[in-house]
Amino acid sequence: MIFDLTASVINGVLVGAIYGLAAIGLTLIFGVMNVINLMHGATIALGMFSLYLLTTAVGLNPYLAIVPVLLGGFVFGVLVYWIAVHRVIGSSDLMTLLATFAVNMIIIGVGTAVWTTSPYNVDVSVPQLAISMHGYTIPGTQIVAAVLAVILATLLYGLLYHTRLGKAIRAVANNRAAAELMGINTRWVLAISFGIGIAVAAGAGVLIATLFPFTILSGANYELKSFVVVVLGGLGDPAGAMLGGIVLGLIEGVTAPFVNVSWTPVIEFTLFVIILVLFPAGLLAFKWGRK
Amino acid sequence: MSEALLELEDVVSGYDELQVLWGVSVAVMPKRLTTLVGANGAGKTTLLRAALGSIRVWSGRVRFEGEDVTRLSAYQKAARGLVLVPEGRQLFNDMTVEENLELGAYTARARPDYAANLERVFTYFPRLKERRKQKAGTFSGGEQQMLAVARGLMASPKVLIIDELSLGLSPLLTQQLFGTLADLKNDGLTLVLVEQNLHLALALSDYAYVLAEGRLHSEGPSREVANDPDVRKAYMGM
Repeated sequence: MIFDLTASVINGVLVGAIYGLAAIGLTLIFGVMNVINLMHGATIALGMFSLYLLTTAVGLNPYLAIVPVLLGGFVFGVLVYWIAVHRVIGSSDLMTLLATFAVNMIIIGVGTAVWTTSPYNVDVSVPQLAISMHGYTIPGTQIVAAVLAVILATLLYGLLYHTRLGKAIRAVANNRAAAELMGINTRWVLAISFGIGIAVAAGAGVLIATLFPFTILSGANYELKSFVVVVLGGLGDPAGAMLGGIVLGLIEGVTAPFVNVSWTPVIEFTLFVIILVLFPAGLLAFKWGRK
Repeated sequence: MSEALLELEDVVSGYDELQVLWGVSVAVMPKRLTTLVGANGAGKTTLLRAALGSIRVWSGRVRFEGEDVTRLSAYQKAARGLVLVPEGRQLFNDMTVEENLELGAYTARARPDYAANLERVFTYFPRLKERRKQKAGTFSGGEQQMLAVARGLMASPKVLIIDELSLGLSPLLTQQLFGTLADLKNDGLTLVLVEQNLHLALALSDYAYVLAEGRLHSEGPSREVANDPDVRKAYMGM
């Protein structure tokens, strides 16, 4: 029983790191431009199917595939920003919600036409990294995916806090009008931030797809988890999102042996409500994004 | 008289349907301190916004170093050295003092001078050096205003425009900051001051424009404007 729990905890933390990465994509966009990105889930699904295409059609190593997916996700995000989001920035929140939701529906629609809604699977295994403990094995793929998630999150953190572009992004998040006065082309910074947020979500999709089967609709589930994570960590705070992701993963992992899987969302969203009521600014009490 | 560095010609502007400026012309001479005074709602801030490109100029022209920059956006003007210290400081509150100063030096023009500018700014405001790792949002009003001016100086400005420097500051602190402005002027910086504190502004500046209801009420050397009975009565309560 104790060993069961240890395995659940490790399992939870590993999956949670990926939830954290996905949520960073969502929280970055919210923090910088106050847009709740409703195409977040569809983007995660796109990342999953990109992995499928890159491994089956191109024959790329699944972990190397993350590089072209990040680049492609960035370009896609910048394009979507200019076409669908930029015009409604600064208008009511409902407008940006609808704009991103429309793109979400387009992606899901096209994806369903191309791939149907049946499940796909990418064959990945790294048995040499698997860890066995008393009859329970943590698969190597889970360890690699979690490590990659943490590496990506760390790189993004480094970008935001130690580069010129990152400081410009944080400046725009903090006070867009003042950033413009500093000589920062804030329209480009918004587009780039949206691109980064989308790239990160797609990258998280790749990592998830190395672990579980997926359909074009799978993103919705992870989008909801991202919302829970973002609220746990405080809206607009990337470090908090990683922490929130790990907390959510832990809760899932630890409850999994005791309750039926269908109870997981009930537990998650009960937690969501409790956190919203008790810690409206997130578990970490500081805010990174807005004034 | 030498050529003006910044020139507003017959600027007409406003917000949506509401016209605020009815043809205002202002010339800022190099190495001088020009002040723009006027009551609340006279259109001072609107004039700055139009000059800097944060709102559209309906008609008229903005010229900087002899070039027409009317249609350039705010960030492009900042990149050329037309720098604003906005009303209400508008700092990056969640970022450190040092990061605020770094962002002040964001443009390609200012970056090579970063180290020299930083040293200069720390000489003017030693407090900022002590607190360089502290977040701007934790500062008092006076310290925030220092940081806002310092951040403007980091941009290697050709013209530094300061909107309402004294707003919300104690008289002592206001005096100190005006002292710093006098030093900056002696160092050869071109300054524009938009102020409600007429006494100090007129005492320090070379040339003054008085704005009333979106039009120029009068202009002239600051000493003359300060002695204009009309201005004294309307704005200085004398």
